[in-house]
Amino acid sequence: MIDLDPLIHHPARLQLLTMLTAVSEAEFSTLRDALEVSDSVLSKHISALVNAGYLRSRKGTHQGRRTTWIGLTRLGRTALRNHVAALRRLIDVVEGVE
Amino acid sequence: MESNSPSREPHEAISELTAADQARERLATGLQLPHGLHPLLAVTVAAQVGTAAVGIAEQTTVGLGIALAGLAGFLGVVGWLVHRFQVINGVRVDGLTSQVVLGASAASSGIYLVSLGAATWAAFESQWWLVALASAIGGVAYALGARRWWHAYRDDPAAHVGGASPRVLAALAAIACLGLAVLVVAR
Repeated sequence: MIDLDPLIHHPARLQLLTMLTAVSEAEFSTLRDALEVSDSVLSKHISALVNAGYLRSRKGTHQGRRTTWIGLTRLGRTALRNHVAALRRLIDVVEGVE
Repeated sequence: MESNSPSREPHEAISELTAADQARERLATGLQLPHGLHPLLAVTVAAQVGTAAVGIAEQTTVGLGIALAGLAGFLGVVGWLVHRFQVINGVRVDGLTSQVVLGASAASSGIYLVSLGAATWAAFESQWWLVALASAIGGVAYALGARRWWHAYRDDPAAHVGGASPRVLAALAAIACLGLAVLVVAR
């Protein structure tokens, strides 16, 4: 059985990865605005997830300014799927008891 | 290093999953297509089908030039539309690129090929009104295919975000190369 993933433990990271399943790549400020977090908080989450191989990032431009584009990797997609499955199992166990 | 063995209460798990799904839905439903995408796509594809049909039927260097001009116009417009989508939304969606640029769904590809075939036949027969009609039908159907994909994407973004598979891309590239070869050899 697969446990909860400590790297996706933080709710903002779960939201970040889940949002990225809807797009191929998203620009940094788009994600920041959607998650309603500061630049530094989002940078920290992205760095941790890039280092783990869950996200990929590249420098690019958006509306004429330099920015970072972020996308979900295959490893990140698998990790997210496993983490969500573990959360659902947790819910199912309790609902089964009730 | 992250904390090991995280745990969650079931009510926390439910609220986290709900919040994550809502975040994805918020992002997907907030995306906007460039203004006038579907009419512009219909006109561009119709023009491309028409010029390709005339070019093939002409079987001359001028005909080849007409067909290539139509193709260049099509690529220019759809490239601009895809770029506008990225600028407006701050995201890239490969599924949209596949649908808009390549018409990669079976329905779009089929309709495109049928309309191109009909328009080409009409051009060989010098039935110019039929060339225009087949081209227009092809353009409108192509745009409707893109619109249909867009609604499907909005309903389930994760399932439709991906672009065409390498196999589909290879097949479309082969068809395009074959068409170009026929044009060059036949002129």
